[in-house]
Amino acid sequence: METNPIITVSGLTKIFDGGFAALNNVSVTVDKGEVVSIIGPSGAGKSTFLRCLNGLEERDRGQIIIDGVPLDHNRKHRLEIRTEVGMVFQSFNLFPHMKVRDNITLALRRVKKIDPPRCRAIADELLEKVGIPEKADSFPQNLSGGQQQRVAIARALAMNPKIMLFDEATSALDPEMISEVLDVMKNLATEGMTMLVVTHEMGFAREVSNRILFMDNGEIVEDCDAERFFSNPEESRSRQFLSKIL
Amino acid sequence: MKLVRKNTVFQILLFAVLMVGLGGLFYYNSVNLGYRWQWYRIPRYIISRNSGGSLVPGALVKGLGMTLLISFISLIFATIIGLLTAILRLSSSFAGRMMAKVYLELVRNTPLLIQILFTYFVLAPLFGMSPFLSAVISLSLFEGAYTSEIIRGGILAVPQGQWESAYSLGLSTVDTYRFCIIPQTFRQILPPLASQSVSLIKDSALVSTIAIYDLTMAGQDIISKTFLTFEIWFVVALVYLAVTIPISVLIRSMEKRISYGN
Repeated sequence: METNPIITVSGLTKIFDGGFAALNNVSVTVDKGEVVSIIGPSGAGKSTFLRCLNGLEERDRGQIIIDGVPLDHNRKHRLEIRTEVGMVFQSFNLFPHMKVRDNITLALRRVKKIDPPRCRAIADELLEKVGIPEKADSFPQNLSGGQQQRVAIARALAMNPKIMLFDEATSALDPEMISEVLDVMKNLATEGMTMLVVTHEMGFAREVSNRILFMDNGEIVEDCDAERFFSNPEESRSRQFLSKIL
Repeated sequence: MKLVRKNTVFQILLFAVLMVGLGGLFYYNSVNLGYRWQWYRIPRYIISRNSGGSLVPGALVKGLGMTLLISFISLIFATIIGLLTAILRLSSSFAGRMMAKVYLELVRNTPLLIQILFTYFVLAPLFGMSPFLSAVISLSLFEGAYTSEIIRGGILAVPQGQWESAYSLGLSTVDTYRFCIIPQTFRQILPPLASQSVSLIKDSALVSTIAIYDLTMAGQDIISKTFLTFEIWFVVALVYLAVTIPISVLIRSMEKRISYGN
């Protein structure tokens, strides 16, 4: 087992304009290969927490270290973290004017400077992995939501990230498409990818993740083993939340 | 159904009557003024034969050539200036934003004629610029200010999520603009940019004040030699229309295709 955590967060605080504290002194460490589900009521700060981890959201206080690299104003550090942390969004955010394959290879070409034939091979391999190799030459608008999200996952994976962040990756999907995306995420977890998953899919949180962060009011209320969280939560707020959704 | 058709016919008739009425009034007044129309003297200013007998463009066509040349070059520079200014205005650099803001306020709050005269009489001697260059610079700066607002609107219309996914893939700001954001703005900004180019052609008439032999200048020049005031201004206006109306029609068809497509 790894002893050095791949993510170290200490004293993370984020205050939005108007004084609302979205994150209040959050500290947590994540080890390599852990699959962490972040759950909690809306407005708890789950997405904000995730977005702070790759610098998409600027924090007000606290420290974030990703794989030994501090997330600060140093451009080199920041770029290293941006490329090593993949992110999947609720609204897919594929580039609509590019074919699926070009969506996947853009950052490979421009950031990693990999030559086009190699990029193509990587893209086709990843599309195979997410189960839609036949869609390489389609445009995003001709894909279903589930397919689009799988392309988004492939696009993030192309950069060969050490950590994957999923920000409500299945929330915008029709029910019948949720499982196809969750299956891809499940496979990723079994391959040993370090994953932080903000989700409302309690089944996924329970079965796939090995750890739960339960957040409320900008704080981590409970941080424990997934199985224990669902069978025997310690905090009353966790119990209250579970009783409402299960 | 019948009622509607009757109404349409009536409207068409009304339109025809009004147009004929206006034309008649115009003609009546010109006759009263004692103006002697001499349309037969006009064609040579459009096209004529030289001593060898071959066809050569007349003064008005040469002027039109200059108008189109200046407009085309200015359009290219205005687009570049507009793009850079839009990006500066949206940048995180305070100095960049202020620069863009000062430029926009200066250009949009002074008359174009003053800008052209200022460039020609103040800047040109300082930097040794020809009249042609002065004209291109002042027109580019003027239209660039409006172009930048169009482009800025197009950039702001691209969803925030596009920036976020480009960021999380590690793309640089330049690459994000070049590959992700700008291509998505075309659909929205092409129609207004095209109408801006119509404005540019019309505005370019003002460069005749700094001794550029454009269409307007050619008209003035011919009038001063021949006193064919009415005929020449008619023709000059028609030539401008002949250039701008096709562009406007093209824009309209573009807008239609864009709103029906997708």
